Amino acid sequence: MALLSKTERRHFPDWDDPTECVFHRVAVDEAACDGCKLCVIVCPANVLELYGAKGSKKARVKERYRGCASCNNCQAICENGAIAALRPYDFVGFYRQLGRGEFSMPRKF
Amino acid sequence: MFDANAVTLRGEDPEEVETETGHRSEITQVPEGADWNAVEEVMLRRRSIRKYKHAQVPAHVIRRMLEVGRYAPSQGNCQPWKFVVVRDAATIQGMEDFCVETCRKLSRGLDYVNYPKGSFRHFLTRTKAKLFNRLSPNLLHPVPVAAMTAIAQGQFAVFHRAPTVILLLMDTRGIGTPEIDIGICGTNIVLAAQSLGLGTCWIGFSKFLNKSREWCVRLGVEKPYEISEAITVGYPVGHPQHLIARDTHEIAWLEGGKKEILY
Repeated sequence: MALLSKTERRHFPDWDDPTECVFHRVAVDEAACDGCKLCVIVCPANVLELYGAKGSKKARVKERYRGCASCNNCQAICENGAIAALRPYDFVGFYRQLGRGEFSMPRKF
Repeated sequence: MFDANAVTLRGEDPEEVETETGHRSEITQVPEGADWNAVEEVMLRRRSIRKYKHAQVPAHVIRRMLEVGRYAPSQGNCQPWKFVVVRDAATIQGMEDFCVETCRKLSRGLDYVNYPKGSFRHFLTRTKAKLFNRLSPNLLHPVPVAAMTAIAQGQFAVFHRAPTVILLLMDTRGIGTPEIDIGICGTNIVLAAQSLGLGTCWIGFSKFLNKSREWCVRLGVEKPYEISEAITVGYPVGHPQHLIARDTHEIAWLEGGKKEILY
């Protein structure tokens, strides 16, 4: 009994194939973003950038990026609740995510 | 029903002993849906901090964190740890330079994303990477490979310019799986740090230093010890303390003769 098939166990995803290595795109709520740049600074994967005119800058995900680990450091530092990753990264083959449910805030039981 | 007799050792029921000796302890009641207590808050709000203020952390605060680390549980109480605390910016920079150089070499030789698709270099590195991927799938996971290349390109730091770096040295003769004990010890340290207003980050790339004889001498890393992990410590930039969303994980719940899958 195994959760990964024989083929999956032998398949290591291509690092430069976005269909094999799915790094999640964080969602930015533009209305709430005040362009403070803290998320850009703390992102470990260098995924974010500011854009727009001076005074009305907003954060966004770069056109080309690699390695967003859905760590949600951007969500942790945002004072306006304007940014968050809502899904984990996922891969095909050997590294396919297993046994995960929905993303969730801390739940009280 | 839970049967106390079934777990009786040496013919004694521990709960009866407790009652007979008059030292019966209270059972802590936690109401359903209660607020997080202080310890839970610390655990939920701790993030890996990679941007620090310049200010150094007072020595006594670091000593305090290590003191908590000393009380971590370990297999057979073997306590397979030893610490190296580095607080000189020049030394940390030297460690950084060495690890960055190692990342450069590895990235150049293994990360085919560096080369245009269809090129010979891409083909060559990809073939090599696929082989190494099979040999050590834990190391060549796509996430650390991306980090390694980001470090090689100067977009990411190894020790994050932190004012203090704690190296966790592991006694390789530790009982069972000493890596786990190091993880538990370090968890005590980082949670204590969070409760003291400090930010921390685990640095796995610090293991590269084991490969340098010069750095092992400078840091005092000798067999049977090796660098298992490092923890950077400093005051975080901003307030990275907001609660965040995370994956939920499968929980198999076996109770009342049934098995239920929860998340």
